[in-house]
Amino acid sequence: MSDTACKSLTTKRRKLGAVLLVALISHLPVKPIFAGEAKYQEHERCNIHHTACTHDLSGMKITLDITPKPVAAMRELTFHVILSGEKPSYVPYIDLGMPGMNMGPNRVHLKRVEDHHYQGTGIIVQCPSGRRTWCATVLVPGSGIAAFIFDVID
Amino acid sequence: MQLCSFRVQGLQRLFLMSSTNTLYLVFLTTGFTVGFGHCIGMCGPIVASLSLNLRRKKFLSHCLYNAGRITTYSFLGGIMGWTGAFTQITTSIAHLQKGVMIFAGFVVIVMALAMNGWLPLGSIFGDGYVPLGTISRVFRKLVVSQSSLTYYLLGLLLGLLPCGPVYTALVAAARLGMDASDTVRGFLSGMGVMLAFGIGTVPAVAMVARLTDLGWLKSRKKIYRISALLMVLVGIYFVVNGIRY
Repeated sequence: MSDTACKSLTTKRRKLGAVLLVALISHLPVKPIFAGEAKYQEHERCNIHHTACTHDLSGMKITLDITPKPVAAMRELTFHVILSGEKPSYVPYIDLGMPGMNMGPNRVHLKRVEDHHYQGTGIIVQCPSGRRTWCATVLVPGSGIAAFIFDVID
Repeated sequence: MQLCSFRVQGLQRLFLMSSTNTLYLVFLTTGFTVGFGHCIGMCGPIVASLSLNLRRKKFLSHCLYNAGRITTYSFLGGIMGWTGAFTQITTSIAHLQKGVMIFAGFVVIVMALAMNGWLPLGSIFGDGYVPLGTISRVFRKLVVSQSSLTYYLLGLLLGLLPCGPVYTALVAAARLGMDASDTVRGFLSGMGVMLAFGIGTVPAVAMVARLTDLGWLKSRKKIYRISALLMVLVGIYFVVNGIRY
């Protein structure tokens, strides 16, 4: 191999190393720049594939159900939210996201179908990495936030 | 008991309202933020691999690559907005996306092996190499071509890579289509969302491309070899996930 070819190859190797270093750094668990502080309540993990899940939030019970079951990615899903107690001033809504990974804003807008019962449709997208854990965050304006974590099926 | 640990992106939440114009801004911001996470991880090795052989018209080629990617995003967004049918469209292009992911993985693997001379294709970067097999010819055409148009075509193709944030933006595009008063408005709205998203991802991808030109790592042979191995692993990851997808 000529000197020029060797030099060219070495330069390319340097560039390759630089890019890989950046790629590795980008995967470090750094706190997002625009991360907002959100108040989340703890909850028990329940199996959303079989049953509705309920969560206590300052005297109010928030029940989330997703159909059809089992809950799959890349499928049109219907989200049901049932609230107990006082009727909230504003209609609740759901934000879908992946714990620890920014997938972009995916909001499910809910409509009131009965007293304390809200419903809306949404899609949980598929992550090619194979990760399946999602978080459906039910936001009840004026009352708080309840987060439901579950694994979707492919 | 488990605490939902992820944090909703504050800026996105601030702008997250229902109007179409605001959605463009939301997805421009989304593209920017996910660009520095997903896009560097997913597209970074590919962008680096493909751009290393550029000797001239580097800026133009990178611009055209991104333009190709954004064209695909916008077209898909337009289709989603036109039909309002996310699941049907994604199902119909699933096989194509799978193929693109596997292809991208092979490109990264071959380039990494060739860089270290572990493949006879090492001389692919030279001007006097005449490939024998069909695959070699395809790869040579891909990496040796100095035509900027090639990078636009590559962008068009690699814009189809399956990716969670792209899907999320497409869901929004389909949703806009469902709410639109007619199909043309639906098409334009969906296209607008994906155009904004694609533009938002450009800074991260461009940064990777720019860093490949710096060459600030000094000559340490072992580091390059380890880097190439990592690159091969990334390629295998793409291929395996593509097959499983």
